[in-house]
Order: sequence, then C-alpha cells, then structure tokens
Amino acid sequence: MTNKPQLPKATSSKSSSISRRMLLGSAAAGAAATTFGNFTILSRQAQAAEPLRVLCWPGYEEKDVIAEFEDLHKTKVEFKIYIGGEQMLQFFAQTAPGTFDAIISDAEYVQKLKANKTIEAYKTDGFAELANYHPKFRDFAPTKGETAGTVYGIPTRFSFYGISYNTDEMSAEQAGDWNSLLDKKYAGKIGMFDWYLPNLGNASLAVDPGNQTPYAITDDQLKKVKEFLTKLRPQIGMFGSSNQPIAQAMLAGDIFASPTGDLDIDLKLAGYDNFSSTIPKQGGIRWQEVACVCSASKNKDLAMEWVKYMTSPKVQSKLVYTKAFKARGPNMKIVDYWDADQKKLLSYVPDPANPGKMLVETLIDRSMPRGLPANQPEQAWIDIFNEFKTA
Amino acid sequence: MSSIDEAPPSRRMRTPNDSPLKVWFLAPLGLWLILLFLLPLLFLLWIGFWRVENFQAIPDFSLSNYTDIFASFFSKSRYGLAMIQSLWVAITTAFFATILSYMVALSIAFAVPARWQRLALLLAIAPFWSSYVLRLYAWQTILSRNGVINSIMRLVGLSDYRIDIIYTQIATRIGLIHYLAPILIVILYVSILAIDRVLIEAARELGCTRWQAFTRVVLPLSRFGLMTAGSFAVIVSLGDALSGNLLGGGAGTSIIGKLPTYASMIMSDYSSSTNLPRTSALATILIAVMVLALAVGFVLADRARRRIG
Repeated sequence: MTNKPQLPKATSSKSSSISRRMLLGSAAAGAAATTFGNFTILSRQAQAAEPLRVLCWPGYEEKDVIAEFEDLHKTKVEFKIYIGGEQMLQFFAQTAPGTFDAIISDAEYVQKLKANKTIEAYKTDGFAELANYHPKFRDFAPTKGETAGTVYGIPTRFSFYGISYNTDEMSAEQAGDWNSLLDKKYAGKIGMFDWYLPNLGNASLAVDPGNQTPYAITDDQLKKVKEFLTKLRPQIGMFGSSNQPIAQAMLAGDIFASPTGDLDIDLKLAGYDNFSSTIPKQGGIRWQEVACVCSASKNKDLAMEWVKYMTSPKVQSKLVYTKAFKARGPNMKIVDYWDADQKKLLSYVPDPANPGKMLVETLIDRSMPRGLPANQPEQAWIDIFNEFKTA
Repeated sequence: MSSIDEAPPSRRMRTPNDSPLKVWFLAPLGLWLILLFLLPLLFLLWIGFWRVENFQAIPDFSLSNYTDIFASFFSKSRYGLAMIQSLWVAITTAFFATILSYMVALSIAFAVPARWQRLALLLAIAPFWSSYVLRLYAWQTILSRNGVINSIMRLVGLSDYRIDIIYTQIATRIGLIHYLAPILIVILYVSILAIDRVLIEAARELGCTRWQAFTRVVLPLSRFGLMTAGSFAVIVSLGDALSGNLLGGGAGTSIIGKLPTYASMIMSDYSSSTNLPRTSALATILIAVMVLALAVGFVLADRARRRIG
C-alpha cells in the first residue's frame, strides 16, 4: 500500500520553501513506498484485521476472481505478482518468513519449495470440489505429500505445450505428429519457447511415445532426445522468451508452427481464425499451477479457505478467462459458467473422435505434467538445450 | 623604478578547488558510484563464488561455477561460441552505428544553420523518447515476412523479391543501431563542436579541397570522439539481449552461424534454473570482456588525443 503525499497548506513566501521541501519529501516518500513497497495490492477495500497474502502468477488478483472470497470472509487479499518460477523463488527468498500465507506455484517448483521448507502438506479431505476434477488432476502426481491423503498443492489452472500451427500451412493431421516438424518444408519455420524444460519434455515424448514419466528417463533415452533435437535444429527459425514474440511471428508469417501450445487462443480472440493447436499423438507436456500453503504462515486457516475457494468451478471459470491470460481449469464443472463461445475456444466441447468425452479431456489424457529431470542433474538438460541452440 | 617590483606579491585568486568543502561537494558523486555501481558489482562478483544446495544459493568461496563454465565453453553449453557471436555483432554494430551517427553529427554541425542546430539535434535524439521495446516491436512489424517492406515490394510489383532479414543478426544490429544512434550522435556532435573552425578555414584558404579539409583536419580532430563513441557502442551492444531476442530471434543467423548472443544465453540460463551463482559467474565473464573492450577503446582514444595534442 502507498501513502499518498499530503499537499501542504502554506501561503507565505517564508513558509513556501518549507512547504516545497515538505512536498518534495512526502512525494519522495510516496514514490519510495510505491517503488519499494512489498505488495502490489489489487484487492477490494474490506474490513479485516489480518489480510491474506498470496504470491502468485497474474490473474489471481483480478477483481472478478477474488471479490467473492473477500466478501465471504470479510477480509482482504494482498497479492504479489511474479512472472516465472525463478522470480517466485527470488521474491520468497527476499522476504521475511511469514510474509506470505499462500503461493501459487508451477507444479514442478513444488519440489524446490519443499526442499526449502517453504510450504507444508495439507489434507485433501474436506475439498468437496475435487470430485469434479479430471482424474489426472486428482492423482496429484508431482505434489503428493509424504503421508496418504496429503498434498503440497492442488491444481487451479493448467494448459498445454502442444503444437500451435497456421492452418493455411500445416494440416491437423501433420500437427498431430511431432515428426512433422522435421519435414523439410518447415525448415526455418518453427518457433520455439526459449526454455529447456517443456521442449526436452516434448522431445522425450516424441522419441518415447506415451511415456507417463517423460522427465524420468535413462541416459540412453536422453541421448535419443538430444538426437531428435539435433534433427529439429535446422527447422527452428526463432526462439521466443515468452508467448508474445512467438505469436507475433506466427501472425507475421515468419513461422508456421510452434511447440508452445495454445497460441491460437489469443490469435482467435484477435479475429484470426487460421490458427489452431493440438497435442501430437505421441503425447505432449502440460503445465499446471497449484495452490500451496506456506509453512510460516500465521493465517493458515484462512489460507486453506482460499485454496478451497480456488477449487470451485465458478472461480476457476473466471480465473482461466482473465484479462491477463487464458488457460484451462481442472474442475470439469467449469463449463456450467461459460457461454458457447468460451467452451469452443477453450476446447470444452464434445470430441468427435471420442464420444462421451470433451476435447479438453482427450488432450489431458494425452498430456503429461511438466516436471524436473529425475535421473540427471538439471544442468545436464540445460547443457543439451544450449548445445541444441548453438548447433 | 618599477612600482611593480616593489609591490607586494598579489594574492592568487581563490578557486573552488581551494575550498576545504570541496570534498563534500564530491560526496554525492562518490556515494552515487559506491551505492549504485561499486556495491552491486562487488555483490555480483561475490555471488559468482557461491554454490547451490537444495535449490538455494549458499555463500561460499568456490571456483566451481567458473571451472564448470570454462569446461563447457566450446562443448555442451558452448558459451564461447555465443561470446564470439556477441563480439562479432557488437563490433560490427559499433562500426556501422558510429559511422552513421558521425555522418548525422557532421550534417548537423556543418550543414544546418547555427540557430537550427539545437532543434536538429533534438530531432536526431527523438527516438529516445519512445520505449526501446516498442521500437523493437515496430522493427519486427517492418522487417517480418508479411511486414511493411515486403508488403510495399508486393504492391509495386516486386513480389518475386523478398527481404528476409528478420531473425538474423542483421535485424539485431538494426535494433541496436536505432537504440545507440541518438547517444552516439550527441557524443560525436559535442566532439565536432570542439574543433576550432579557424583550422578548417585555414586549410581551405591554403588550397585544400573540402574533402582534404575533412580528411586532414576534421577527421583527425574527431578521432577521440569516434573512439569514445565506438567503445560505448561495443559495450552496450555486448550487454544487450532484447534486440537479439526480439529481432534476432534468440539465435539469429550471422556469418558465424545460427548462434545466440552471450547476453541472451545469460538471460535464458537465469530463467531456466535456480542457479543464481552460476548466472552471476556468467555475467562476470561478460563484464570482464566489456572492461577489456573499454580498456582497448581507452588506449585508442588516448592515442588519438595525443596525436591531436
């Protein structure tokens, strides 16, 4: 929060220099509070003795998402927004223990938060909405606690790193196979997200289709991953540090496809219908955010209530359709709160190839959660990605 | 005889340098440099010797980050290749940016009437008023496959030809030159203004052609400014990752190959792993190269100044 500088009420010439100083001082104090203040507060005004403090990705702080919780619990929620898991860890390390009550983390970063004893496991009983979660999100694979029935985080939002493609240049059938990216006609026309983790995960699935644990592979399998990437290198026209430059390159016709996934959502919303995305038949990587409770929180009960709140389909329907970002929700009842256009855009529509299933369910079934390298040091995977980039 | 001889020696006029308070006037500058330059730099150097345990940076004095990095300088991560790409892009960018800016500075100084020069300089540095990232996105729109240039070429019936420089290091250089030019123009304009016009007039009156007056008077007297501008451009280009990422496509093609720049690799490594010490060590190596570039520039500029003297 910031203190607004108060304008002095001086009128005489003598006092004007003092008042100017006061004005400058208070302006500087205000600027300092704005710059160095610990929190970006975007919550509603509410009467509360102890606010809930959450470290999260963008979207969770939007009024539509959090207002009901604040009204219900007569509290306010303060958010510190981060972009990227490393920034999350940095923000957490730079604040005193107990500063944050809850964290929204990428599922694989739970391992890092656990190692730092930042978060603690909690019981899943009492989370009635979990019954409506897709089964793949109920196994809590990357976030399971040490004892039965406990977890370190419950999924709140997810999406895929499948192939996004320009339908004028690539057919749906081609996009359904990772090997299509190696086709000579796409040389220099593939854009790639500049992060080793999803790309090596996808390559792992390309060489070992359907592997349920694409990050827990042997050294020999890793060698095959490297070989696949080496073959893919001439096809890569650009690396993007975020979705935006890759989407821009797709739109400009500089690239035709990207294993970044879901670029089509924003492009379709902008009026471009010649883009689509899918997960290839060999499988693809899925990212997912989970809600965690901080070990040093003094407000754990309220933090648990917030986690419960985030599992509801109504909240998730707004969370995954915020101004900041479009994604997907693990609670399948989410569709009850959307109109037909939203359902179509986010693939919560019947899948013609799998009667009785929604398209998003087919994609979930075909995808594996993003993880950390299990059998090799992280640096070994980063080295392979760097070698691929400099090949 | 002379009253001068008999007069008591006159007291030398006091200057601000004689004031005992002069140290205090230097204090803000010293404090500024210590707080915002020296301490962060020392902290960065120090972190480079830390190690990582359980995904956390632990204070230590270990050379392992440096040994690991140098062990994979030309294999595995191949930071060395990225460094070569960076040096190639930075030196060529500095060369073209300095020449372009010098031409603009010369036109402002010699072709624009004195009363319009300030306005001309203001217009030359106008790009600085807009965000660097926005300028890069604007260049992306201009240079891309369906961008402004190629669309115009199609419109005028040249659809068989296409400018294909987006996601190459040529595009990286364009972004960098656009960023650097306003600063370089100011540096070079100031250095040209310092040239005594009488020397140029004397050269002309002694029979020099315009070109000879330029090559024998103006250019030698601009050397110091050119070296300063060139060194500055090399250092900024070495440290920049944005143009390389947005216009160069992260690993743009050059005559050296499809390689990322070193600054781009640091950014990518930092966002990939919870390994701040390793990233700090990588950044320290870049700083060492920059200091070397600065030292070379300083020596060249000093030689140029002596020649002028």
